[in-house]
Amino acid sequence: MIELLQNLIDGLGRGSIYALLALGVAVIFGVMHLLNFAHGELITVSGYAAYAASNQGWSWYLITPLIIICAIGASLLIERIAFSRVRGASDFTLLLTSFGVHFVVSAIFLLYVSASVKTFSRPGWVTDTFSVGSLNIEVFDTIVIIVTVITLLATTWLLQRTMFGLALRAAAADFDTARLMGVKSDSVIRGAFALSGLLAGIAGVFWLMRSGSTTPSAGIDPMLSGVLAALIGGLGSLRGAVLGGFVLGLAEVLLRSRLPDGIAPLTDGVVFVLIALLFIFRPQGLITVAHAERV
Amino acid sequence: MFPKFDRDIAFPLIGSLILFGLLAGAGVLYQALFTGGAAERLITVMLIDAIIVLGIQVYVGNTGVLSFGHIGFGAIAGYTFAVLAISPEEKAKRIPDAPFGLADVDMSSTVAIIVAVMVACAAAVILGIGLARSGAQSGAVSATVITLALLFVTHEVSRNWPELTGGERVGLFFPIGGALDTRAPIYLALLGSLIVARLYAQSRSGRLAVAAREDNLAARAMGVNPLVQQMIALVISVAIVAVGASLSVYEDGSLLPENFFFNFTLLTLVMLIVGGRNSVTGAVLGVAVMTAGRELARRLGQDGFEIFGIGLDGKPLDWIFRENLQTVFLGLSMLGFMIWRPKGLLDDWELDEWLRARIRRNQPEPKPEPLLEVVADTASVLHAENIEVAFGGFKALSDAGLHANGGEVVGIIGPNGAGKTTLVNVITGLVQPSAGSFSIDGEDVTNAQTHELARRGIVRTFQNLRLFSALTVRENVEVSSLIAHSHRTGRTIPDTDALIGEAGLWAHRDRRASELDYGNSRRLELARAAALAPSFLLLDEPTSGMSDNESLEMIEQVRHMAATVGAGVIVIDHDLGFITGISDRIYAFDQGTVIATGTPDEVQANARVQAAYLGSAADA
Repeated sequence: MIELLQNLIDGLGRGSIYALLALGVAVIFGVMHLLNFAHGELITVSGYAAYAASNQGWSWYLITPLIIICAIGASLLIERIAFSRVRGASDFTLLLTSFGVHFVVSAIFLLYVSASVKTFSRPGWVTDTFSVGSLNIEVFDTIVIIVTVITLLATTWLLQRTMFGLALRAAAADFDTARLMGVKSDSVIRGAFALSGLLAGIAGVFWLMRSGSTTPSAGIDPMLSGVLAALIGGLGSLRGAVLGGFVLGLAEVLLRSRLPDGIAPLTDGVVFVLIALLFIFRPQGLITVAHAERV
Repeated sequence: MFPKFDRDIAFPLIGSLILFGLLAGAGVLYQALFTGGAAERLITVMLIDAIIVLGIQVYVGNTGVLSFGHIGFGAIAGYTFAVLAISPEEKAKRIPDAPFGLADVDMSSTVAIIVAVMVACAAAVILGIGLARSGAQSGAVSATVITLALLFVTHEVSRNWPELTGGERVGLFFPIGGALDTRAPIYLALLGSLIVARLYAQSRSGRLAVAAREDNLAARAMGVNPLVQQMIALVISVAIVAVGASLSVYEDGSLLPENFFFNFTLLTLVMLIVGGRNSVTGAVLGVAVMTAGRELARRLGQDGFEIFGIGLDGKPLDWIFRENLQTVFLGLSMLGFMIWRPKGLLDDWELDEWLRARIRRNQPEPKPEPLLEVVADTASVLHAENIEVAFGGFKALSDAGLHANGGEVVGIIGPNGAGKTTLVNVITGLVQPSAGSFSIDGEDVTNAQTHELARRGIVRTFQNLRLFSALTVRENVEVSSLIAHSHRTGRTIPDTDALIGEAGLWAHRDRRASELDYGNSRRLELARAAALAPSFLLLDEPTSGMSDNESLEMIEQVRHMAATVGAGVIVIDHDLGFITGISDRIYAFDQGTVIATGTPDEVQANARVQAAYLGSAADA
């Protein structure tokens, strides 16, 4: 029982970061029908920014906003340079465009920084824990969960109560009709990329605090978690993306602690197999979004 | 009638030989210019890449499903090959604890390649079932993610199962001297891959897969089961990739998990899309272009750029020409082509088709003889009753029914939203009714799938035109004809060319469907449906968007086509003049239910019809 509770808390902490990443992926998918394989690059970019700032002796109080600003900036820049040119293209083109962006960004760091791992100092409290009864709770996980809940509430407010949110949800439901109703496609799409960058930035702060390092290919893991979580929840559904993030986080933690020792190193592989099975039996994900095709 | 030797076999064979000659010749020429081990290795790697890219093309090109997983299959084949082919003495040094007694296996490389191909194909069948269950179709995102999952699973397993794979740092090695010492197997495999890829594209399965790639729904409505064709394409494709991957491992002399992961996936996909993913010629061109480009980028990155006084000593342009330039080059190529030329340099241009067209240019094809009318199959009966369909709380159909006999023309009329198209969707298996049943010739087919119903002779056209737009007029009609030849054997199957002539499209036979004007597109859709030798032709608003004159012509066209193939007709429209002009019997629909039925005169005289329909005829 205690172990399960422990897993649950660890899983929520991990799942929170995934949920933020997945929500960013889902927002973009909503307005552009683009599954963004380059989402993790926002963390690569801000990771190098954090590395540079850390070398200059910046404290994490300054690095945190820097990471978020970098993620938003990178998100908008990538949209401007690449994605704005393939709006409305076929799914095949969109998928490969984001795949291409992923490679160009990581190759740029490979070219101008180096292939080796760059480390920076982590805040001291990242590894601190406190005890509640026999539970060992990480300070880090607690903060992650709190910040994520606040972020999700704020995002909900943004989407439900503001004109931008209304336009974004309308565009996600039916882009063409939304445009005909006067929603400005440019500003909605840019707004979506800014929001996606902001969410990735917040997730990135935690991701980088925990890893304390970055490499040119550091974007693959967060990208994969975000994309998979968004897919688990059901692409196009924002609520589903958040749910998918938590499900993925819990599944990873539970599997890691429960799998027999022989298979434990293969946890990630098992997770992928489970996800593939989920798509096979529920290709639309956990939450179904109606996509009626008119004939 | 299929396959036609000259078109489907002879020219693809000649084309494959020429492509092989061009690629291998370019390699030999390059080696003659730049002698040395590096040049030799570059060309060998190019030839192996070509095999793998051709394999990916068979699946991605013909089905339109983007796969990130083929390099994962490559890893499966590569490791199988390596574990089997490396001598027990070598294995004792690296993987002495290999499971399943593999440490003691001693196989010749040829046998090992065959086993590797079989193992990879078995994995492909399993993944293929998953893809089919996920409803894979052209551009499907979930299908792509399943393939991506495979790539990551193979990578995770190869990294974390050191007893079998030697793990991330050590890997597997062939003893020096065991590496490939002649290029003959590579040449052989390359030529074989080219021929298989081209022949598959021309085969029945390949053509049906391409039809489904162009329009999944329309293909199913013509009796194609896309999932079966995708599975065939996947297995053939993986077999080719497996051969290429085994040769690559053999040639490399070593195998690490990183070899078959993201970077190789990027490289092969870029090669495929640069040339044009829908074409075998394009795949070969892409391999050549990207190999050259990457080598140039590598050299520039290494040596700097010293020509025409620019970048002298590599200094002014040093910020571009540095190591790892080739990775940037690959990523930028991918992006650039996706943004400016997503279909690649060649799109679906094939060398052998071009050759055939050129050789045939001066031999005019005689216009086919008109078709003789077929006696209608009056015995066939389509019967639907008590059909109910609800979308959420809205009842699109309630207690709707329809009865049609072979050879007659039944009209369905009603205002917009009356449930006409929904009824056709039920009868063609696109919408499952929540209640009621329908049968063909007395046999219940309420739950049959779209392609099964098409094979039973219920074939439809679509309100908003669904042609296989990248295919020519002739190829469009041939898709149905292929199905007819295997599933409509009891019927007289019309000759495709003659049918194209009957539809008045003979002059346009080699044009793409996307180039046709609206009227001709409608005629093509009708001809494509008729080629299936259907018992019933279901036409969903065949005159929508047509002028009165064109509508009159369409009446003649529909009658003529139906008589030619001996089919009964069920036609939907909201144009009263058109329906009364064409039908033997009419069903009038309003608000999801039948309000009147009878001869055109009876229905026109019916008071409810006048109230429901003529009273609100503004939309007609």
